[in-house]
Amino acid sequence: MTAALRLARQSAWVNFQEVAVNGFLLFAVVWQPLFVGVTTMYMLRHRADFDPMYVVVGTALSGIWSTLLFAGSGAISHERWTGTLELLAASPASFFVVIGGKLAGTTIFSLGSLVLAFGIGTVLFGYPVKIAEPGWLAVSLLLAVVALWATGMFFAPLAILWRTVGRFLLVLEYPVFALSGFLFPVLLLPNWIVPITNLLPPYWAAVAMHGAASGDLDLSGLLRAWFFLLLTGGVLLVIASRLFVEVLTRARRAGTLALS
Amino acid sequence: MLRDSVGAIELRDVRRLFRTTTGTLRRHAKEIVALDGLSLEVGEGELFGILGPNGAGKTTTIKVLTTLLIPTSGTASVLGLDVVRDAKEVRRKIGFVFGGERGLYYRLSGRDNLRYFAELYAVPPREIPPRVEELLELVGLRDRGDERVEGYSRGMKQRLHLARTLLHRPRVLFLDEPTIGLDPIGARELRRIVSQLHEGGATIVLTTHYLFEADELCDRIAVIDKGRVVALGTPDDLKANVSDLSVVELEVFGIDASTVERLRALEFVDSVVVEQRELRQVLRIQTRIAERAVAPLIAAVAAGQVGRVAVREATLEDAYVRLVGRVE
Ligand SMILES: Nc1ncnc2c1ncn2[C@@H]1O[C@H](COP(=O)(O)OP(=O)(O)O)[C@@H](O)[C@H]1O
Ligand SMILES: [Mg+2]
Repeated sequence: MTAALRLARQSAWVNFQEVAVNGFLLFAVVWQPLFVGVTTMYMLRHRADFDPMYVVVGTALSGIWSTLLFAGSGAISHERWTGTLELLAASPASFFVVIGGKLAGTTIFSLGSLVLAFGIGTVLFGYPVKIAEPGWLAVSLLLAVVALWATGMFFAPLAILWRTVGRFLLVLEYPVFALSGFLFPVLLLPNWIVPITNLLPPYWAAVAMHGAASGDLDLSGLLRAWFFLLLTGGVLLVIASRLFVEVLTRARRAGTLALS
Repeated sequence: MLRDSVGAIELRDVRRLFRTTTGTLRRHAKEIVALDGLSLEVGEGELFGILGPNGAGKTTTIKVLTTLLIPTSGTASVLGLDVVRDAKEVRRKIGFVFGGERGLYYRLSGRDNLRYFAELYAVPPREIPPRVEELLELVGLRDRGDERVEGYSRGMKQRLHLARTLLHRPRVLFLDEPTIGLDPIGARELRRIVSQLHEGGATIVLTTHYLFEADELCDRIAVIDKGRVVALGTPDDLKANVSDLSVVELEVFGIDASTVERLRALEFVDSVVVEQRELRQVLRIQTRIAERAVAPLIAAVAAGQVGRVAVREATLEDAYVRLVGRVE
């Protein structure tokens, strides 16, 4: 266990040095939330029920989500590109732990979106920071980040199998953003979609974070959201760990680990 | 029952196919046979060479043995462990280097690359720093270890690769064209390290298409072509294969293809290899009749085109030409 944590930490550090300066990450963590935050503020600020914290939290979530959706597959594509993917696959180390560490390292990076989102609300638009339950928001954020990391881990193995998976993930970015109620309540969507959204960690992340920030959810409501956040995240993580093994075997069968 | 010599490495009837597609609108699936029933056995402590032209299946063989490719059929084992069933165990015990510059973290220093790979191979944390220093020393990179790999020369990267794969003290090493693209001094330095490892008792499989390299280093050589073994033995065994042959080297100027064909058709000529050298060509003609071939050969080439002429004994390279029918 400690050996696995050690390897995960080292992998995060290597990944950080290799891709931290990568333009895409900067786009996901900085430019995308900046754009989303500013436009949404403009669109919503004259409405009677406007709550700037809702936009701040939603913007942060969208930044974290985009980063984590792409970071796992991005890390794998980068390894393929540098030729180290084969070396990782031929080493006795667990791919799950290595990529898990890399993605976790990026997670810390993604929190930059949160800072930025607050900056947009307070500095750019001059709204006061009004968090109803700061302690609960912190817990919600922590669990949300863990569950979104698990979601990223679920998509990462696909990059081992398909060299161009990044483009396909692009298709998933916005739907999850919309279906999870990051910035617009899910209730605005058709009824039949709601059960689907409930299967996704990002949905519960949005419920918990919005609930704690606005004070709309009491503790029992929050506990329920946290529970489902961990449950959906945990299920995805278990599937992901199987997927890693399966996909590596397939890649060894198909001969797609190298860039050729 | 105990066998008196247990092979460190065994391949039995290994076939490996690759499916590729060609065309954009009308896609054609094409099957490439990379290994066509390859069987080999390498003894413990042996330095074994795999020699063959491009596309012969050398890299595919190494990738099967390093668990990166699953054979389509047949079995392969390393130290008695099946490369498919016991892949994880095999990975702990082997090291490998693929030729070329890729496979390192370029933004990291050489030292940090080694530290990370030591983690991947679960070298105990306390042993990592001394082991890294020891290996940097071995490959002559101690002074440059803190520089980023992106600034390394090809030879330095290749030596770093070798250090990388020795971190966990593997008993079996696979080196796929380790000297490719290196300058002569870099290549010689790398061969020196390989010899040293061999003397240390490691089992080493080395692929190359440099014949002198195989001749200089290897205990035994398998020549493979089109995914099959076409010859197997010590360098001397292989040379013995051509002991009946001599080679006439003719320096010629502006010879055309039809003339070469004419030479090939001569009854006493075994094979002709044309080597282009700026304005002239050197024809290497294998023949059984040695000096007696010179006069008829010169007669067959248009007068005035011939420069220097030499007759020599056949080398390992000539044995290879005879087996594979071409040189790279
Ligand atoms: N991943 C792959 N996908 C498709 N074809 C491949 C792949 N790897 C190797 N091949 C083909 O298999 C044959 C053997 O290749 P290889 O083992 O690399 O030869 P060598 O190393 O002797 O030059 C070649 O025809 C090559 O094109
Ligand atoms: Mg090769």
